[in-house]
Amino acid sequence: MNYRNVLLGGVAALCLYGPAMAADTDVTIVLNEELETVEPCMSSQSNIGRVLLQNISETMTELNPEDGSLMPRLADSWEDRGNGTWRFHLHEGVTFSDGSTLDAADIKHSIERTLSPDLTCEIGAKYFGGMTITPTVVDDLTIDVTSDPAQPILPLLMSTMTIVPAETPMEFTRSPVGTGPYAMTAWNPGQNIILDRRDDYWGDQPAVTKATYLFRSDDAVRAAMVATGEADISPLINQIDATNADTDFAYPNSETTYLRLDSSIAPLDDIRVRQALNMAVDREAFLGTLVPEDAQIATHMTVPTTLGADQDLSVPAYDPEGAKALLEEAKADGVAVDTEILLLGRLGNFPNVTEVMEALHGMFTDAGFNVKLQMVEVAEWVKYYSKPYAAQPVPSMVQAMHDNNRGDPVFSMYFKYACEGLQSGICDPDLDKAIADATATAGDGRGPAWAKAFEIAHDLSADVFLFHMVGFSRVSERLDFIPSIATNSELQLSQIKFN
Amino acid sequence: MQSFLTKRAISSGVSLLLLIVAVFFLSRLTGDPTDLYLPVDASAEARENFRELHGLNDPLIVQFGHYVADLVRLDFGESIRRARPALEVVIEAFVWTFQLAVITMAIVSAAAVSLGALAAFHVGGAFDRIATFFSLIGASAPDFWIAIVAIVVFAVGFGWVPTSGTGTVWHWILPIGVLFIRPFGLILQVVRGSMISALGSAYVKTARAKGVTPKKTIFVHALRNAMLPVITVIGDQAAALLNGAVIVETIFGFPGVGKLMIDSILQRDFSVVLAAIMVTALAIFLMNILIDLAYAALDPRIRY
Amino acid sequence: MTETQTEAVPKTKEPGKFITILRLLWADKVATTAAIFVLIVIGCAILGPILLDGVATKANLRGRNAPPFDLSKGFLMILGGDQLGRPLLARIIVASGNTIAVATGAVVASMIVGSSLGLIAGYSRGRLGQVIPRLADVIMSFPSLLLAVIVLYMLAPSVGNIVLVLAITRIPIYLRTTRAEVLEIRERMFVQAAQVMGASTGRIIFRHIMPMILPTLLTIATLDFAFVMLAESSLSFLGIGIQPPEITWGLMVAQGRPYLTSAWWLSFWPGLAIILTTLSLNLLSNWMRVALDPTQRWRLEIGGKKNG
Repeated sequence: MNYRNVLLGGVAALCLYGPAMAADTDVTIVLNEELETVEPCMSSQSNIGRVLLQNISETMTELNPEDGSLMPRLADSWEDRGNGTWRFHLHEGVTFSDGSTLDAADIKHSIERTLSPDLTCEIGAKYFGGMTITPTVVDDLTIDVTSDPAQPILPLLMSTMTIVPAETPMEFTRSPVGTGPYAMTAWNPGQNIILDRRDDYWGDQPAVTKATYLFRSDDAVRAAMVATGEADISPLINQIDATNADTDFAYPNSETTYLRLDSSIAPLDDIRVRQALNMAVDREAFLGTLVPEDAQIATHMTVPTTLGADQDLSVPAYDPEGAKALLEEAKADGVAVDTEILLLGRLGNFPNVTEVMEALHGMFTDAGFNVKLQMVEVAEWVKYYSKPYAAQPVPSMVQAMHDNNRGDPVFSMYFKYACEGLQSGICDPDLDKAIADATATAGDGRGPAWAKAFEIAHDLSADVFLFHMVGFSRVSERLDFIPSIATNSELQLSQIKFN
Repeated sequence: MQSFLTKRAISSGVSLLLLIVAVFFLSRLTGDPTDLYLPVDASAEARENFRELHGLNDPLIVQFGHYVADLVRLDFGESIRRARPALEVVIEAFVWTFQLAVITMAIVSAAAVSLGALAAFHVGGAFDRIATFFSLIGASAPDFWIAIVAIVVFAVGFGWVPTSGTGTVWHWILPIGVLFIRPFGLILQVVRGSMISALGSAYVKTARAKGVTPKKTIFVHALRNAMLPVITVIGDQAAALLNGAVIVETIFGFPGVGKLMIDSILQRDFSVVLAAIMVTALAIFLMNILIDLAYAALDPRIRY
Repeated sequence: MTETQTEAVPKTKEPGKFITILRLLWADKVATTAAIFVLIVIGCAILGPILLDGVATKANLRGRNAPPFDLSKGFLMILGGDQLGRPLLARIIVASGNTIAVATGAVVASMIVGSSLGLIAGYSRGRLGQVIPRLADVIMSFPSLLLAVIVLYMLAPSVGNIVLVLAITRIPIYLRTTRAEVLEIRERMFVQAAQVMGASTGRIIFRHIMPMILPTLLTIATLDFAFVMLAESSLSFLGIGIQPPEITWGLMVAQGRPYLTSAWWLSFWPGLAIILTTLSLNLLSNWMRVALDPTQRWRLEIGGKKNG
């Protein structure tokens, strides 16, 4: 009986003291939230990804977070065969942790399983919405994947698709099997997850032999645990606790914060009002105070390493007097600028979010806006963020943080800016066309096509962009590991070395 | 006695049923788990499919019918978030909470009753003032505040105990220490107040007049009579702990039912919420029956 | 902050109960200090939001987390600045309005409802005596956090709704305590004597039973004051309580918590305000128990003579 084991375990734990003998090559990682499942097809959720992604479950392709290029992983190479079909050639001699050998049937099953309506996998819902994917086995090591409509970035999409053996049942698994260098050897819900290194991994043997994952939701505790040696890595600590230059690293976490304006409702339908909102925000004042110094003022929905997002668009200058003048001008034209605008914030979205929102509220008020601030928890926030907007018919600005770490703006722009986009506050025919064009463009033209879409959105003052955020990690000095932009979604144990 | 237990079992069963009905319908007023489970970019089709899969499209009353039908077969439903039987998830967590509550309440009761009685015996004396002062300060300091300071001082500063988590007996010291403070102050105050009244009452004065030793006066005559409100308060505090010590569990990473409950409420994982409430409610009802029996044992004038 | 006015007890009013009470209060110097502090807090709660609201909400990002005891930035900054550079002293004064409103509202409402139900449950030998305690069981087992989420999700997280949530969750403690005491008292000789003599139920409850249980209820209520303020703080900590731009002491403690190791004053001062207020109330209630109890009053009278 499972429960009795837990009880006995608890009693036994009470009687024993003394940490288990830990080898020098073991690491302990403390995450901010417990894993609810260990299902590979859910590993787009950051904590599941940090345990599973490329440690237990691998993907056919892998995104290089440094430059946005695509690297081979389980697939050695791939080519476009036209009509939306891509052919992938698998690496030979790859084995799963259950001993079976990887072949094309496993890939086919993984794709079908991830996209199955019986499972509601997050990877399927997040990256493969609105398209049909058909895998076709060519031979043991070759598979064709066809998408309808055609996806110029199908190989990139495959960098999100975790591969499981063909025998994996069509329900969430509690003992994930993958091709990665580690296998899960223990899962004690609420307490820990333990990964052990596989001896029969197909690639290079990593240095870490065993990884223990712990879960603590309090920021200060996670930081303290690395300080006391109870943990080696805390991928996410609060900027307030990041005070030790030897152990604490800032890394761009691919998140962009912004205020989504509902421009379908007066007075936000007037571009001068939206410009005035942008001018009312003193972005510089946040840096190094409420927002970490290393954060970057944003002019795009995605981080600059994303395709087409690297061009310089002007940051709206902080000019409360100018904002007032614009408002006066709009008022003279009969725009109802005195209408109360709802400023909606999401509690706990990022460190200091409440304080940031309070400060923004003050800045808007100073510039002559009539703004009401409301902070809500996520379940309520979603109703304001996604269509149909709960705030309507009240004009609203909804604070949000968008994460696009996949290197291509297609995962952002349609949702945030197209007329039909679920979180779009704007509807502009030119912008719609630019997004559709860029989505369909392949090859070298894709970057400039996206740059055009970004520029139109910028010129419309569609949103109030705030910052490309940074996260902080604390890493024990005995490890040689520098967190990067990828740390937000995965934590490859094979990249950890020892000092 | 027998009939009292039967009656209580029946009325507790009725309360439990009422509770289930109330929680089932009220919790569903707080929104749909679909938006929280799926990424914000998920298509309308995916959302619809999810609702269909988890029976969220049925009218509420039909959902309740399914739930009760399953419940009769002791099936408490699946956790949407964890894809596991809800009861399994809850019992895992409740075992931890139960141990924590029992150990904490045992220590608290022993300490608060003895010190409270001593304080009452010399009202206004130095010991009374000190005990009152510190118990009040303890009872009015925010527990997350105490918890963080305790970690910073005892775990990071001195390194005497681990910061958080489970595993050894040392891991229990900080959570119990933090949980101890508030019920201790409250119970101590009630013991003291109740003792003052009891010591002033006629029968204690008689006992004293008859030359019974002060020690015996406190511990036999007065304490026994002062215990009724004390037991009530101890029961309330124990019930609060059985419901889970959310803040302490959150900060110390203690896998108890309080943290599970708040997470499940915020994620609208209704099966887990319901299963957790049923398990904790059952424990609390059982405890209340014990408390009523204790009343009768302490005061022969109370009968059921 | 406390010793601004160690004023003489006014002696101009007609001699009577009031003077007697004041004299008894004066006899206990600790209780006197507590009473003065409570008066100051009530004064702040009423006047603070009117006088200082503008100062307390004016952000100054470049002067954030200003350390306390620095008079160069003006008197209001004596307790330091918060994470947005707003003067903590002004904020604590303004926040006292909401804090006291929430705590008083919740404690008074739950005490009235809870003890009434408890009286009925304890005194009635019929069905009500069985049903009401079960109601307490249901409320006690209904997780207060779920209640908070339900109420605050459907209504807005305003002061009134927080009072509602906290009041409901605190009802059982009064209900059960009252019932337990009534169960005992109703068996006592004087109650039975009153029944035999034909006193009405109302008279027995209000003249004979109420005075016996009031001291215990007041002790619990004053301690509950602390509990309610802290519960409100915990709700804010978990993200389901009162939210900015509203302020309460509990919210200030919760928001200042991440800074405990780097800028302790952010959560220390509001925490201290909670502690001092509840401490004062408890000292007052302890004094009141003695002063109102004819068999205990001699303690104060002797003390008074000694001091006088």
